[in-house]
Amino acid sequence: SLGFVVVALDEPSPTIDPLTNQFGSLNDLSHELASLQDLAMRGSWRSILDKVSRARSLDLLTKPDDHLIYLSYNVLALTKLRRFSDASNELDSLHDFNSHHYKYETYPKLYHTRSGSMVPFSLRFIHAQLPFKLGNRQEGLDCFYLLLNFIRQKIKDKGIHSLQESVKIWRKREVFVLHCLIGHHLGAKEFNVCLDLIRHLINHDYLDPVLVSKLGYIQMQIGDFEGAKGSFHRVETMLNERKNDDSSALSEVEFRNLVNRNKALVFLVGKDYVSAVREYEECMERDPADVVAVNNKALCLMYLRDLSDSIKVLENSLERVPTVALNETLAVNLCSMYELAYVNHSEIKRTLSNWIARVAPDDFDASCTRV
Amino acid sequence: MSTTPQGIHSLAFRVMRLCKPSFHVEPPFRLDPSDLFVGEDIFDDPLAASNLSSLLSSHVNKSTDSSDMTFANRFLLHHPSDAMGFSGLLVLPQSFGAIYLGETFCSYISINNSSNFEVKDVIIKAEIQTERERILLLDTSKSPVGTIHAGGHYDFIVEHDVKELGAYTMVCTALYNDGDGERKYLPQFFKFVVANPLSVRTKVRTVKETTYLEACIENHTKSNLYVDQVEFEPAPYWTAKILKADELYPADNLSTGEIVKPPIIVRSGGGIHNYLYQMKISSPGSEQVKAKRSSILGKLQISWRTNLGEPGRLQTQQILGTPSSCKEIELQVLGIPSLIILDKPFSVHLNLTNHTDRELGPFEVWLSKNSAHEKFVMFNGLQTMALPAVEAFGSTDFHLNLVATKLGVQRISGLIVFDTIEKKTFEPLADVEIFVESD
Repeated sequence: SLGFVVVALDEPSPTIDPLTNQFGSLNDLSHELASLQDLAMRGSWRSILDKVSRARSLDLLTKPDDHLIYLSYNVLALTKLRRFSDASNELDSLHDFNSHHYKYETYPKLYHTRSGSMVPFSLRFIHAQLPFKLGNRQEGLDCFYLLLNFIRQKIKDKGIHSLQESVKIWRKREVFVLHCLIGHHLGAKEFNVCLDLIRHLINHDYLDPVLVSKLGYIQMQIGDFEGAKGSFHRVETMLNERKNDDSSALSEVEFRNLVNRNKALVFLVGKDYVSAVREYEECMERDPADVVAVNNKALCLMYLRDLSDSIKVLENSLERVPTVALNETLAVNLCSMYELAYVNHSEIKRTLSNWIARVAPDDFDASCTRV
Repeated sequence: MSTTPQGIHSLAFRVMRLCKPSFHVEPPFRLDPSDLFVGEDIFDDPLAASNLSSLLSSHVNKSTDSSDMTFANRFLLHHPSDAMGFSGLLVLPQSFGAIYLGETFCSYISINNSSNFEVKDVIIKAEIQTERERILLLDTSKSPVGTIHAGGHYDFIVEHDVKELGAYTMVCTALYNDGDGERKYLPQFFKFVVANPLSVRTKVRTVKETTYLEACIENHTKSNLYVDQVEFEPAPYWTAKILKADELYPADNLSTGEIVKPPIIVRSGGGIHNYLYQMKISSPGSEQVKAKRSSILGKLQISWRTNLGEPGRLQTQQILGTPSSCKEIELQVLGIPSLIILDKPFSVHLNLTNHTDRELGPFEVWLSKNSAHEKFVMFNGLQTMALPAVEAFGSTDFHLNLVATKLGVQRISGLIVFDTIEKKTFEPLADVEIFVESD
């Protein structure tokens, strides 16, 4: 059976005529895709809605896959703006993802010999994720488990036809959906299911130090401290045994910071906040944008009775690395600290709120400041 | 929760419950570019397969560079496990929450000077008041706070093990000289209620010499409890052994040989977990009877954890066994013939045991006639049987000669054993079913 290992292509790639390269840039893939992508990276979701609307009304989209890609950005923008019903309605307008309307082979004049589904996989993901936001948790779980079956069938099919690149991509999607499921079960505190799913991945040779670390966090959560220490020890071993040509997704800095953060958590749960702070500071030294280290260090300072410094740590990070530090959780923590530190905290919270309004992307949930 | 103090004060107390922080979990809408830019099956096309990867990898969110001023992290997956929405970010407790018996109450207290002038000679006290007692948590009179400048604050953290149910008031007081040199007194009151996190229901059953104690722990809190340890402390002269079912699924061994022990999670709002203990009298002779008669079996000590290892610990009151678990006389059926024919006499082999520390009997044995239903099994011959006395802790075997007068399933019921000396009646035998066949 195939493990989750990168499979190198042995056969030479088909030659490309540079003049007719269909895959040179994003705009080759879809109409003005580069601009859409740029807006998405900046979090300008309202602008995306405008751009999609304009492209549709001016009939700028000529091919069916263009329409689908634009629809994907549109649905994604609606979810980012928390317009979940609108997003769901737009997805429903497609009726059936598996319809022949969305297959390349239906349009041989446009796609020549290409066959298969032109539906961007994101749509299937968003379709499964939306029910959770609309209060239908059971429906969402069902969707994800059905999606998992769908993916596994695809992996089988592609394998039979020796389509190795496709197999790789679909395996990546299988891992993705498993992670989504772990997250949802975790949110509902169904820890035994989470542990089973994580162990399933690990036992099938999916050895990701971040995943093993998260296993450790869950073990800490349920009071299995010995188990957690075992998991963290395993991560350290993975770091020490790492080869220079390791194609792991983690950089050296990320890996080392992960190990430090794991150590910090053990100290934190054991109430040794001083040692936890020390570990987090090592992380921040290596990478000032390690927002988990920054946030958690600030919390440790609070537990050390140093409210003033905990506030400073968070405020500094917002100033120095705003695009990374600005997240709703950090803002919630900072506001809790303000409420404790100031009798008249509305003023300082309003200052924060105004700053956020100027800097934050469209999808930032400003209700976190409780102003 | 805080009552507004009288008068205008330069100082004010701010309070925050400081239980352990929580992990933030929220599965996000974050994507991989290959799931957005192109159709899902495009990699079936060999041309696309070989050329897209370089294009896509240049757009994967590899950047953790803080100078990269994009919000890519909110949109693209940087690492596969980002899809879980569980980064390790911790959140401070967002509400006071519920406090339960057996936990440790921990609070951050900050006293703020919101005036425009310095306050001097500040003395701070914090005290917990319950119906039964007052506990001093903090008193700075020996190590004075001194001065708090305008806009400044002084912080402290207090902890208290909660051992009493009901209404609590945390009283924070500050004595200080304000800007005008006036000595002022600021009391602030923070009220909360302590509830019971668990209830323990017990059942006691006795089978011959062994007593079984079944304990059911029910979680009444709003969060899950992770059971650390449940220990039964038996009363004197008793021993207890916990009985566990065989594991349905044997311990999972990971590829590194790690043994996995599934955690005991008692779910919030009514989840339960059961424990079974086998108890025996540890010392023989008369102590044994005393132990049985006293009927105190022992206590359960329960320790648990909630969010991120927050500990809690409780002990039950004495658990009682049922007094009637001690029988003076016991009758056991040792043998019944496999074939019982209608109207033909048959013999039943019985054993009578004396569980007391004195001689009992001689006895008379008969089948009572006072039952509601008609009897179809009766003594064959003399309607009363005599048995000799039985010494302390001894037993005697005997045979009853019976006859059945009706076919099918019948019962031997209402067997009476009468102590002729103490003039005491025992009904020590439950109904015994027999099957009566025709010739």
